[in-house]
Amino acid sequence: MSLLKVEKLEVTYHRVITAVQGVSLEVPRGALVALLGNNGAGKTTTLRAISGFIGLDDARVTEGSVVFKGMKIDNRPPHRIARHGIALVPERAKVFENLTVEENLQAAVPRPGGRFAREKVYEFFPALGALRRREAGYLSGGERQMLAIGSALCCAPELLLVDELSQGLAPLLVRELMRRLQAIRAETGVTMLLVEQNAQIALEAADYGYVMENGRVVLDGTPQKLLAHQDIREFYLGAAGGRRRSYRDVKQYRRSRRWYG
Amino acid sequence: MSGYYRTNYLEDVALLDTRAQKAWFALFIVLLLAVPFAVGPLWLDLANQILLGSIGAVALMLLTGFAGQISLGHAGLLAAGAFTTGILFKELAAPFWVTLPASAAVGAALGLVFGLPSLRLRGLYLAVSTLALHFIVIHAGAEYETKRGYSTGILVDSPLTDARHWYFALLAASTLTILFSLNLLRSRTGRAWRAIHGREAVAEALGISVQRAKLSAFVISSALTAVAGCLFAYFRGFVSVEAFSLYLTIQYVAMIIVGGMGSILGAVLGTIFVVLFPHAIDALMAASGLGERLSSVVFAVNYAAFGLVMIFFLVLEPQGLVGIWRRVRDWFLLWPFKQR
Repeated sequence: MSLLKVEKLEVTYHRVITAVQGVSLEVPRGALVALLGNNGAGKTTTLRAISGFIGLDDARVTEGSVVFKGMKIDNRPPHRIARHGIALVPERAKVFENLTVEENLQAAVPRPGGRFAREKVYEFFPALGALRRREAGYLSGGERQMLAIGSALCCAPELLLVDELSQGLAPLLVRELMRRLQAIRAETGVTMLLVEQNAQIALEAADYGYVMENGRVVLDGTPQKLLAHQDIREFYLGAAGGRRRSYRDVKQYRRSRRWYG
Repeated sequence: MSGYYRTNYLEDVALLDTRAQKAWFALFIVLLLAVPFAVGPLWLDLANQILLGSIGAVALMLLTGFAGQISLGHAGLLAAGAFTTGILFKELAAPFWVTLPASAAVGAALGLVFGLPSLRLRGLYLAVSTLALHFIVIHAGAEYETKRGYSTGILVDSPLTDARHWYFALLAASTLTILFSLNLLRSRTGRAWRAIHGREAVAEALGISVQRAKLSAFVISSALTAVAGCLFAYFRGFVSVEAFSLYLTIQYVAMIIVGGMGSILGAVLGTIFVVLFPHAIDALMAASGLGERLSSVVFAVNYAAFGLVMIFFLVLEPQGLVGIWRRVRDWFLLWPFKQR
């Protein structure tokens, strides 16, 4: 049985704007699944629907369901979902800048029955060890990302949601962070769902991938299958000969065929 | 490698780290205990006002400086504690050990009710909603005074009559409040307050109930403030709505701004400043020979100077007195170096 199952998800903002429509995906226990797509594709909305954050944005799941460990969790508040075992590493504002590194880790509330030793965070991210007493507001972008992942791990999650790991970071650092995530998964067995624009890096690490466009899933498969796919190569891996092309502009007929049969 | 390192859990949670800190603190305690025997009645009364004020200021600091929730109902909460004490004393002849927890309970209940808007409102809107608390409590207090014929105030017999006794009682109350607050801030509840002050969304992501954290901040801060109100009733010996004007709220807000947001020490330094400030202005006016000529407008001069000081701190020293204190301390600690 899948740890997380999203079925025919529809999310509506302000009761008017539909941002995600008919999205279905599965995350098996222990897997690392990547959710790919360009800006505005609906990846983050999907992630926020899973973690309950759409409620804070005046949005709701209006159709479909989010099922975690066999339990329907859509439209629950984020802290409740975190207590069930889903922790989110947000996209932008991700640490408490007024708290020290150590206090950031202490602030996380572990899910009932779960345990994660704070010292493990310093083992996974040794750079944070020397910064324990430094206020998080003084950390660099990479250190903040490490701290955000560490704080989420302190919730002792069964499913870790990571929103745009690569945003604003140097490619080498992103690869390093991805390696750390894989090490964390190998050691703790935590399941991961990554939302990422950098398809190459995400698919190198993932077991399975979904590609979203215009609020729908348009492709899914193993990394090998996706990396070999002509559209992925063209629109995500820069095989279009330097010209910036988009699914949205070019592939309307192909998407229509896929969506409507 | 040199320097001071904490090597066990006990050292990590200790409020005072080094021997030098402990020695300075011991000296400070001795000085505090010596104050009532070394100063005259005026300065003793000012010291008592500072100790009493620091309880309310620390309570407001917990709510605003740490949990990030603005409140303009502070004078109302002080009034709630004082009136609870006055009413219980007059109506039931209740002793101190009944009026104190009853005041705390009333404060906590009011904090819960008036904390509810914080779940939907922020900033200026929240501040305005807390103003309602002030007016409701003051109105209820005034009604009680009128209906029961205490139009000049409710007289409360104090268990302590000597100013020195009051000094030690208030010193103990203030110390307990500070210790309680310092430890609370290191607990899960305190960290949750600071977390929601930092980023509410991240707090939610890490399993912190923002609603519960906000309400607990209002409840605990309000209960502490009402306790200060209870002590105020006994200290002054009477309770009247006149003593709890909106200006009192502004004074408490000034205490935490001038002292430095997000610091218990800042709340205490701010209280010292705000209590002593009018006397300093008076002394300055007297020394400059302007006291006679400006005697008719002495209050206006005081208010104006107070306003200017608030603007000075908001614009030029946002970290308040505690920021200045830290800079001075670091200068001595790091000398001859300039920075860490």
